Amino acid sequence: MRGQKVSILLGCALLCSASLLYLGLSGIDCPPPDHAHRHTWADAHLSSTNQSQASPIYYGEDTPLIFIGGFPRSGTTLMRAMLDAHNAVRCGEETRVIPRLLAMRASWSRSARERVRLDEAGVTDQVLDSAVRAFLLEVIIGHGEPAARLCNKDPFALKSLSYLARIFPQAKFVLMLRDGRATVHSMISRKVTISGFDLTSYRDCLTKWSRAVEGMYSQCQGAPEGSCLPVRYEQLVLHPEEEMRKLLSFLGLPWDPAVLHHEDLIGKAGGVSLSKVERSTDQVVNPVNTDALSKWVGHIPSDVLHEMDDIAPMLARLGYDPLANPPDYAWPDPIIPPNNYTLVRPDSPYQHLHPFVFLFLWTVSL
Amino acid sequence: MRVSARRVLTGLLILAGLFTLTQFLRFCLPCRQPSQGAGEPVTVLVRDGWTVSSDVPMVFVGGVPRSGTTLMRAMLDAHPAVRCGEETRVVPRILGLKLGWAAEKEGVSTMVLDRAVTAFLLQIIAGHGEPAPLLCNKDPFTLKSAKYLAHLFPNSKFLLMLRDGRAAVYSMISRRVTIGGFDLSSYRDCLAKWSRATQAMLTQCTQVGSKRCLAVRYERLVLHPRSTLQTVLKFLGLPWHEGVLHHEEAIGKPGGVSLSKTERSTDQVMRPVNLDALTRWVGHMPPDVMADMDAIAPMLQRLGYDPRANPPNYGQPDPQVLNNTQRMSMKGSQTER
Repeated sequence: MRGQKVSILLGCALLCSASLLYLGLSGIDCPPPDHAHRHTWADAHLSSTNQSQASPIYYGEDTPLIFIGGFPRSGTTLMRAMLDAHNAVRCGEETRVIPRLLAMRASWSRSARERVRLDEAGVTDQVLDSAVRAFLLEVIIGHGEPAARLCNKDPFALKSLSYLARIFPQAKFVLMLRDGRATVHSMISRKVTISGFDLTSYRDCLTKWSRAVEGMYSQCQGAPEGSCLPVRYEQLVLHPEEEMRKLLSFLGLPWDPAVLHHEDLIGKAGGVSLSKVERSTDQVVNPVNTDALSKWVGHIPSDVLHEMDDIAPMLARLGYDPLANPPDYAWPDPIIPPNNYTLVRPDSPYQHLHPFVFLFLWTVSL
Repeated sequence: MRVSARRVLTGLLILAGLFTLTQFLRFCLPCRQPSQGAGEPVTVLVRDGWTVSSDVPMVFVGGVPRSGTTLMRAMLDAHPAVRCGEETRVVPRILGLKLGWAAEKEGVSTMVLDRAVTAFLLQIIAGHGEPAPLLCNKDPFTLKSAKYLAHLFPNSKFLLMLRDGRAAVYSMISRRVTIGGFDLSSYRDCLAKWSRATQAMLTQCTQVGSKRCLAVRYERLVLHPRSTLQTVLKFLGLPWHEGVLHHEEAIGKPGGVSLSKTERSTDQVMRPVNLDALTRWVGHMPPDVMADMDAIAPMLQRLGYDPRANPPNYGQPDPQVLNNTQRMSMKGSQTER
């Protein structure tokens, strides 16, 4: 009896190790995408847009892509997750390759000598742009399920916002903005490495945040009329419906209540696909919430706090009071346009009074 | 009765356990993406209704720089069915970028990345010149990625230019042709790097297979252009065309040879095929390097270039080439390295 049990156990152990070895060595084919679910979703979607499935969709430079980006830890993942919940949109995970290609393309244009060499080789700007466009389209299209509006979220892709607007004239851009102190605290406390950023120094990170955001923000403002919408993270989590209605109108999309409950569509076909390796995944599985708004308070070194406005001038520019810890996010200060930037707060009642009028009134009152 | 029921139960439990285990393993172990290359070819719209697909016949010309790659592509350009054009400079860069990404865990699948790289390459290779039945690309270092390119472009072929390393290195040093990774102040360094690069490219060429990759000796090309080009054109499946022996007459002509003002071989390739550059390197190798030659550059011996002969006997030239060379020297054209 016992001998039999032993032999059975031995047999099982052998079987187990054999299958382990086989599976480990040969590898298992990835499960094919869930075709049943995809068909029902695709059919529902196609019927709602009155499209026939027979004609292949041709993607060219007029593709109305949506690019979401901004400084990392500014709510970019939340934004794309909420848009993914919309039945007509698919963003998907960060591609990570798109920003690198864009950076390489930018470096070729920067050197005048290189531009001459490339032109001599027949590799003109037009040829390069076609190549970059083809690369981006293949990545964005192949990256996930088909959708009426394709979208891409790679935070630093918007460092090339102006370039993307040029090569995709019908594209729309969503630039996520957030209080730099919250962003930097998130980066440092969660140890999210970004090349060039010293995670041991709030000062360094805030300085670089300011510079990076300034670059992206000015490109957003310089983009063709109606193509770039800055969205504040704080407003998104405090007033999600209002912000999403504004956003969908900007994108030319109908309202879909699903965007307010993206957490219900995670992992579902036509819904929100999350990455196992991205740093915000554990946060974005939750419904929209305000937990992360003021976590940064009390964590910034006092010497940095005192010099906040000098270290990160973009805070004030974007309407975040550099001296308030925290500012009242519920009542946002308006974003100061670059040309009219002064040290006086925009809602100061004395800003608009002409000094001579003031003098006249004073003389009259005497 | 009880015993057998218990046995059955135990058996079922074991089976259930095994099943759960396999499902668990399936979840844990990395899964393999469905075979790449499966799926339709990548098609791009180049311009004015001209579309190109990744399954078109294509030829990639490459090798260590200063090995006759420009001469080869110029001669091919003189053939009416072929268009190579200038070095694109960006093709090797995107291949390098892709190589860097392969090591990381990226957000996109390998298949999608391959398609994207293919689309990019097609736009550059097709877009930077005129259409032709056989598109061709010459960027020397692309042959380091021959295997990958062979996978992206299933109907592509490869021409690997090989040359006596001493001649190649003398050319890059004396002409000060900057090549990434080569220290132009040291013959020793350049020869060692030449050897390693040549070995890498030859390995790729062998892996691609003789039906798709042909190694061509520069020396043979300039000594016996007719027979060498006959071999090359046969390998590419192209009919013979006499124009390939007179590429200098097709320079700047439509359907002919387009040269770049900034490329380093332009001034040489504007002249007819000649022997000037064959043995110029003799007498310029530092003696300590000459003494260690075989140890520094083992590929010399492997390719059949005697590391101790200065120079080896490359062979006897065809009369036409001898003619060209003599005409050049009689015309009093400046001897360039």
